[in-house]
Parts: sequence; C-alpha cells; structure tokens
Amino acid sequence: MTSALSNATGGVTPAKSVPLASRERLAYWAFRAPLIFMVLFFAIPMAMTVVFSVFERTMFWMEPGFTLQAYENFFFSARLTNFLNSMKYSLISVVICFILGFPIAVFVRKSIPLVAQHRVVLLFILPFMVSEIIRVFALRPVLQRNGLLNTTLTNLGIIDEPITALLYTHTGVVIGEVMSFLPFIIFSGFLAMEAVPKFIFEVCDDLGVGPWRRFKDVILPLAAPGIFAGSVFIFVNGLGVALLPNILGGAGAVNAGLIATQAISALDFPLAMAVSAIMMATLMTLLWIGHRLFDLTKILTPLS
Amino acid sequence: MNQAEFNRRQFIALMGAATAASGFGTMAHAQEALKLWAPGIAKVGAQDWSDMEAQSGVGINAIAKSARADESIQKMVVGDGNALYDAMTDNGGGMEDALASQGAIAELDPSRIPNWGNMLPSYREGGASADTIRYDGKVFAVPYISNADSLAFNYAEIGEELNSWEALFDSQFRGRAAMQNDFGPTLTNTAIYLKQSGKGSIDNPSDMTEDEVRQTAEFLIALKKKGHFRTFWDGVQNGADLLSSEEVLVSSCWEVIQIFAARKNGQDIRYGTMKEGHQSWNNVLMLTRGGQERGMEDAFYSLANVYLSPWFGARTLAGLGFTPQMEGVTEYVDANPEEFDADTRALMLDRLERKQARRMVAGNSWQNVFPTNMRAYQDWWSQVQAA
Repeated sequence: MTSALSNATGGVTPAKSVPLASRERLAYWAFRAPLIFMVLFFAIPMAMTVVFSVFERTMFWMEPGFTLQAYENFFFSARLTNFLNSMKYSLISVVICFILGFPIAVFVRKSIPLVAQHRVVLLFILPFMVSEIIRVFALRPVLQRNGLLNTTLTNLGIIDEPITALLYTHTGVVIGEVMSFLPFIIFSGFLAMEAVPKFIFEVCDDLGVGPWRRFKDVILPLAAPGIFAGSVFIFVNGLGVALLPNILGGAGAVNAGLIATQAISALDFPLAMAVSAIMMATLMTLLWIGHRLFDLTKILTPLS
Repeated sequence: MNQAEFNRRQFIALMGAATAASGFGTMAHAQEALKLWAPGIAKVGAQDWSDMEAQSGVGINAIAKSARADESIQKMVVGDGNALYDAMTDNGGGMEDALASQGAIAELDPSRIPNWGNMLPSYREGGASADTIRYDGKVFAVPYISNADSLAFNYAEIGEELNSWEALFDSQFRGRAAMQNDFGPTLTNTAIYLKQSGKGSIDNPSDMTEDEVRQTAEFLIALKKKGHFRTFWDGVQNGADLLSSEEVLVSSCWEVIQIFAARKNGQDIRYGTMKEGHQSWNNVLMLTRGGQERGMEDAFYSLANVYLSPWFGARTLAGLGFTPQMEGVTEYVDANPEEFDADTRALMLDRLERKQARRMVAGNSWQNVFPTNMRAYQDWWSQVQAA
C-alpha cells in the first residue's frame, strides 16, 4: 500500500516520511503557537499596561503602588469628551470609507476577470507603500486656506471665500482618516466578497432583484463579518493614530492617541497607560459585539 | 577689559584655532563621529553638517531633535539617551539643572574651550545669565543661541504694526491665531501679558505658583473653547507654514519662523516688539554622561569651541536670526566682507537693533523649562490641550 502510493505520486514522499512522533510534536506546537503568540504579544503587554496605569506618578517616571488617579484624570476631565468626540468622528470616517470603498470591492469581485482581480486590488493598496506621514502632510497644501482645492474652486467661480473648515478642524481629521484608511475597507470588502458566490449576482439579475435589495438582503448579510472587521480596523485607527489630529486637526481635534501622546509629553505615564487600557477595552468590546453578531471566524472561511 | 586680558584671550583663541586646524582636527576626524542630538537650528553653513564638521575638525553624526523639553527629560532621564547621544542641546536656565541633578550630563571644563573667553559677559560668574549654564555653581553647558520671542504678524493683511500681546488674544483674530504647542513658552508669554495688562495676579511669569499657572491656563482654555486658536504649532516648518499660508495672521513664535514665513512667498510678515515683555531663552550644548564615558570629550570641546566662535555667531544671526552668544561678531563681519554682502550686513544690523529693543523691555521673563511647580505646569497644560 505504502509503496504503491509512493509510485502513484511520482516518487514524491508525502508527509508520512516524517516520523509520527515528530508530527505529533509539530501538531502539539501548531495548536499552542497562536496561544503563545497571543500571550507574549497581547496578554502580557496588556496586563502591564493595566498594572502601570494604577502606579503612582513621580516627577520623571512612576513607581509601584495602587491609585486610580489616572482614570479619574481621564473620566472627570475634557479628555472623556474628546475621547467620545473622536469615537463619533471615527464612526463618520468608517461610514464614509464604507460608502466609497465597499462598492469598489463589489465592483472588483463582480466585474473584473478573476485573473486580474488581485492586481486591481493591489492598485488600491499601493498608496500604503508611501509613508503615512508623507501622505498626511501632503494633504495640507491641498486643503489649506490658499491651498489647491480652495484656489481651484475660487478660480472656477464656485466659491468667493476660501473654505476654512477643511483643515485644522474635525473635518480635516475625517478627510485624513478617509484618505489613510480607505484601502482597508476595500481590501476587507474584497475578502468579504469571497463569501458571495458570483452566481448570486446572476441569480439576482434573473429574478429581477434591484441593486438596493440585492445589496441589503444578499451581499450585506454574507459579507458582514469582513465588512465589520474592516470597519473596526478603521474605527480603532481613527481613535488611536495621533498623527492625523496632530497634523490636520486644530486646537480642538483630539483623539485618544493624541491624549496619550499629550500625557507622555506631560510625563504622566500612568495616564498614558490608562488611555491605552481604555482604548484596548473599547476595541475588545467592539470585537466581542461583532463576534456575537456576525461570528468573526467566518472572515477566514472562504480562504480555508 | 584691559589690553593684557585681550591679548591673553586672543592668544588662547588663536592657539585653539591653530590646534583645531592642524593635527588635532585630523586626529578627531579619525575618531568616531560625535553623536549630536540637536535640532536643525544648531547648524549653520551648508545644508548638512559639513561646514560645522570642517570648522570643528570632528565628524558629527547629527540626530534630529525637537524643541520639546519633555522629550529631553524622557530620553535622558528615563530613556536610553545616554547610550545614544554623546552631546545634546536644549534650553538653558532649567534643562541643564534637570539633567545635571539626575546625573544625565557631565560637568564641563571651560579651560578646554579656547573661545570660552569670547562668550558674552552676562554668562560669566555673577552675570545675569550665569545660572543658565550652571548647576550648583558648576558649568554644565555652553550657550550657542538666544533670543527674546515675540509676536509674528501678517502686516500686509493687518495693515498696522502690532506692539502688544493683546492682539494675539483679541477677538478680531479669532480662528486666525496660533501659539506654540509647548507649555513653557505658551504659558510664559500668556503670563507676561496677564501680568503686565493687569488681567492676572502673577508675580513671576518665569516661575509661577500653582494658582498663577491655573489662572494662565484657564485664560487659554476659555479662548480655546471660543475657537480662538486655529492650532498650536510644532516645529519651525509647521509654524512657518501657518503664517505663510495665511491660516493664521498672528502667531506667538520664534523669530526664525517669522523669517522663514516671510521668505517663503515674499510676504510682509513682521516680528514685533511687545510692550508687555517677551519670553527670553537660550539654547545650550551639553555633554552627556554617556558621551563622557565613551571618551568623546575632545570632540565635544572642539564643537563647543565652534559654537562660541564669531564664525558661528555671524552665520546664525544672518541665516536664522538668532542672537550670537559671543563678542566679536561685528568685527568678524567687517573683517570678512566677502562672506556677507551689503544687504546681509544691513539685515544683521537691523536684527541686532530689534533684538536690543526687545531685550530692553522691562517685562521680559526667562523661559524656564524646569520651573519649581513643574507638575502644575504639566497638568494644566494637558488641560489646555484637552479643552
């Protein structure tokens, strides 16, 4: 039996050549490696973040102790308002990214030949090859008072006065988030659309189902886990990337990442740790809700 | 200064220069490059550090540094700064105290800097600026630039000279005003205004009590909530962009920002003299403890010697608008007319006169990056940021 199989596979020796004991050892580690990874790179850093957040603050650093001062500083100050505001604007960014990005993902899956789909998606991901700080900075000459956009609109006679709400405002931050994170929703939408067989479009066409109903009743339920994953990614980045409000936001545009950065500037490390812990708790809660609603393990189902 | 003293000083300087120009420089070049943590404003001449290297005779591996005081503290006191940098710059009159008290920087031997005698008299023991380079009576820093910060304004748009901080906080510039994203200069300048205008009960804007810090911060928070500030700037480029793009018409900023902003599009952006006073500051060069332990002292002193030379002073005044920290700059410029054309010489003279005018204002206060109530400054500044 064994030699026949070897012959049938053209002499290529399958996995059976690996001794059983080694395979068992590999299997043992294959199941535990993700666990070790999670413990090393998530659980321990998170636990340390929470522990440091209750340490006593000193002039230059912190010392072991237990105080909830950092959390009090967060929840009973303008920081909480800023955090909630940044959640609101991140949500707006998610919605805009979805409206702009998901149709692209559907279009690629539905209308681009299979052989070219990955290349087309790659085109949308290419901007990621450029440093984010360069991409964000490049928005300034476009959006500023005498920038490209205002100059063009003025020259076309569309506006008389420059639009100043585009930069150093929450709007500026949302524009930056959409420009920075749009590829995430395209990519996750593209993956999510793997759960939607191509023949479904044809069936819908045959049955005369309109685009809206097709989207609402067929595509959205099937692609929901992937869309949710992409949305969470954008939302969390909107909360945490301090670069965007720092460069495009004005005096009032502050997100959680910037709150943590400002805490570090004030050498208030326990507060920075508390902000990080709160952000992580927010993320975990979102993921838990998403998992309960959509079963996020389905994201990888089409690939398996 | 008598003739004998002058001759001795000149002799020492000449000997130092000769040493740097001959074998010493060659030896230093052969050494490992000095790892210098400093902002771009610490260099003059070529775009890179090659002119500074040529003058000092040492290789310089410059690592970009921001002007934020907290960054220095983090790196040098709780971080790995001493492993990374041999020398660094920061504000004098506070930072050298903080770093020296934590053992992060090394005491200096002025006798190893031939140009030490060129330094402005105010830095000598007992002088008005003596404390800004000393900790516990010992020298820990070498000054290389200073200034009195003021208000930059777009004259073309505003149509009048501004000579009061009142303009920065005036409602006519709501949404078109900016200040620095740093508690030191922003709280100090605001406190100077509040004190001199009688709107705040502040004794010493350089070293405020907790209540005075609260008053100052609450004043800014109230304005911020009204949308008065377009943004708080970070760094020279950011500050200059805000002015040149007309995002803001008035900005409390460094003179170099006004110079760059005016130069960018040829706009008439000016730097005023504020009747209430200005925040004065200097920037100093320090030898890190790590640099000393790695045997980089010779390279450090060679660079420090350049920073106290009229060659550097003339160029930092002409290019960046900073005040030279040594005597003999005018003589150097006169002696080297091929290096500075007539327009540049006139510009330098004008800058020196305006600096003198700012320096003479009674309400000036020193920028204290390490005030007594540092925690209050930090806490209230974070509330300004979060408001």
